[in-house]
Amino acid sequence: MTLRAALLATSLAVAALLAPGGAHAQAPKTALTVGIAAQDVGQLDPHFAVSTIDRIVAAWMFNGLVRFPPGSNDPAKLEPDLAESWESSPDGRTWTFHLRHGVQWQGGLGEVTADDVVFSLKKAGDSKTSAFASELRPVQAIEAVDPYTVRIVLKENVPNLLGIVTNYAQGFIVPKKAVEAKGDDFKRNPIGSGPFAFVSVTPNQSLELRANDAYFRGAPKIKTISYRFIPSDASRDLAFQNGEIDLNYGRADQSWVNRTKALPHTIVDIFEPAEEAQLHLNTTVKPFDDIRVRQAVAYAINRPELVRWRGKDVSREAQSVVPRGYLGFTADNGLVGNDVAKAKALLKEAGYPDGLTVKMIQSQLPEMLTAAQVIQAQLKKAGINLDLQVVEHATFHQQIRQDLSPMVYYSAARFPIADVTLTQFFHSRSIVKTPTAVTNFSHCNVADKEIDAARVETDRTKQLALWAEAQKKIIANVCAVPMFETLLVFARHDDLDYGYKLEGSLSLGPQITEATHFK
Amino acid sequence: MILYVLRRLLAAIPTLLAVLTLVFVIVRIVPGDPAIAILGDRATPDAVAALRAKLGLDQPLWAQYASFLGHSLSGDFGRSMVTGRPILSDVGAVLPHTIDLTLASLVVGCVIGVPVGIWAALHRNRAIDYAARLLSLIGLSFPVFVSGIFVLLVFALHWRLFPVIGNAKLDDPLDRLDKLVLPASTLGLVMAAYITRVTRSAMLAVLGEDYIRTARAKGVPWRRVVWRHGLRNAAMPVVTVVGLYIGILIGNSVLTEIVFNRPGLGKIIVGALNQRDYTMLQGLMVIYCFLIVVVNLVTDLTYGLIDPRVKQ
Repeated sequence: MTLRAALLATSLAVAALLAPGGAHAQAPKTALTVGIAAQDVGQLDPHFAVSTIDRIVAAWMFNGLVRFPPGSNDPAKLEPDLAESWESSPDGRTWTFHLRHGVQWQGGLGEVTADDVVFSLKKAGDSKTSAFASELRPVQAIEAVDPYTVRIVLKENVPNLLGIVTNYAQGFIVPKKAVEAKGDDFKRNPIGSGPFAFVSVTPNQSLELRANDAYFRGAPKIKTISYRFIPSDASRDLAFQNGEIDLNYGRADQSWVNRTKALPHTIVDIFEPAEEAQLHLNTTVKPFDDIRVRQAVAYAINRPELVRWRGKDVSREAQSVVPRGYLGFTADNGLVGNDVAKAKALLKEAGYPDGLTVKMIQSQLPEMLTAAQVIQAQLKKAGINLDLQVVEHATFHQQIRQDLSPMVYYSAARFPIADVTLTQFFHSRSIVKTPTAVTNFSHCNVADKEIDAARVETDRTKQLALWAEAQKKIIANVCAVPMFETLLVFARHDDLDYGYKLEGSLSLGPQITEATHFK
Repeated sequence: MILYVLRRLLAAIPTLLAVLTLVFVIVRIVPGDPAIAILGDRATPDAVAALRAKLGLDQPLWAQYASFLGHSLSGDFGRSMVTGRPILSDVGAVLPHTIDLTLASLVVGCVIGVPVGIWAALHRNRAIDYAARLLSLIGLSFPVFVSGIFVLLVFALHWRLFPVIGNAKLDDPLDRLDKLVLPASTLGLVMAAYITRVTRSAMLAVLGEDYIRTARAKGVPWRRVVWRHGLRNAAMPVVTVVGLYIGILIGNSVLTEIVFNRPGLGKIIVGALNQRDYTMLQGLMVIYCFLIVVVNLVTDLTYGLIDPRVKQ
């Protein structure tokens, strides 16, 4: 009990003694407090929301044309959101979306119309006004047929158009009038159509939201959300134990999970999408220009040991260069297991009988650094000395994009379709230091044909076969060595009911919906 | 006195200019691109280039410097590159918390440190002295991220006397006090440890001086000798340490702010550094430097009050 609370409690106790009548039944709690591991919120314009802290809160304020059902990140289950129905032309190039009638923007801005949708998707496709512009590259035209109908014409087929217009990143719909009127201020004072509306940000402290009682799925049961920025894990955990926060950003660490699960009235949620950690090997520079050295690294990595270190509840072995569960993933790809003797033999064959030393630029973030140290120990057994050059996190991101690290440890989750991961990490268009660079650190180009063909293939069976072939080729060429997948972790008090079963969330945090409530 | 203050303020101008230039250069020398930090790991080079142009980072360095200097000198620190919020409003939102913590720690440190230091000096090499020295050593040896967590475990979690989350409502004095007690005590005790040691050694030096012996020989009461003749002469190094420590507290209490989840200048500086928020870093450094200049000025003025010779 705080000093203030003690005074208040005393006053209330005295008042209760003096007041006639008995105690009243307690009303259900409607104020949710969330603790998040961050110093401050960054970009509240959903088309710039790239950090975990921004993505979680954007998903509470905005909608897409379609959405993942709350608690799921399965693209096969996408359901209507602002659009109540849609259809596509037989060739899959023209898509027509029919909007719900009567959906209101927060703050009395009027109805969500086709103009807003057209404006939003065009904004999301422009690199000056969006961080996700590349996702809309296949789109040729977006037009409003009438106030409640939007047509999207594609230049080429895409694996899943619905995935582009879902409640995720580039798919969030923003109000045209508000963005045009507010300009750059929109990212500080956003307006959406979702269940919760932005109220204020106190720098370094918290972001406040209130329920959007006019939400088209019904007024939320939670009336206010206080999104607290608490960077210290220990302080956040103490605040959670003390009942000062209801929902806590957790740590993908087995001992943390065990300790938190043991707390009374506490539920630990572990959910998708998993981030897959891979070692990317630059196939164009020594020593990794020799496939035998790359194969030696692949044999030196011991995945079961990495999972034991990371924790059985929060991680699992990676089985391909595409994370498990993504559309197009295949485990039948020729990935080799741990064999130190074979790794040593390959090194000897490649002209390194006494082993070799390899440089790797590594972020100082504890989670990444400790993983790199475990990998360092595994490689050492095979005679590969990993020279970790530890730099600050922003420097790490800059230097690996400058192609300065022949080996890159990278952990990422992407939209759960194989095309996205394969294109961004293994297509030659995405090679770092090129004009179209994304995150191809290995300079891999062996599966371009399959990746491109799969993207426009309309026959799902053939498409899956092409993605499987791409994975086989990338793994055979050892562009990257898949290691482990880490799931997302949150803890909550057991009186908080999400209103759905949480199995996955592409916003990287639990969805707080109109049905979320305290019991 | 007025001339003295003016002279000191004028001397601060070149310091501020040097700091402005250094900050500008340093934040650009450090590797890391703010555009990548803002756009995330999927950003394509054209998106990064577009954002760099929007932020003015594509301009020649001299043009960026001239613009930064011009705006800074006119009091316009601009907006954060990341959040787009005005820097002064962000600083204004956290500065009262920093000032609260600094002043409260100072009070705790002085109220404990000065008397204990004097007491230890007066009982040199006796149990009280050993105890004071041992306690101050313990105070100095515990980093805030250890002592802070311990304090939270005991007073917030076990006894539930204070909250873990320390971000107080500025318009509520009781709330501010409630959330200040634990961090100010933690930081104040470290400060008290410093002050105890400095006060003790300064008092020991002064108490051996001839004028102290003379005062005692004249029959001046011991209490008066200690407080009037001893402490006043021993106060200079204590004031110096306090002045330096306030400067450190203003920007470097980041660990305390993180552990007790308080907003503050230190936390903003670290956040801006992590995100390569150049404009925020520049603005913060200028404001921080200005505060240091003010603290140093107040320290110098205090010297003048303690020792009239300083003013001459």
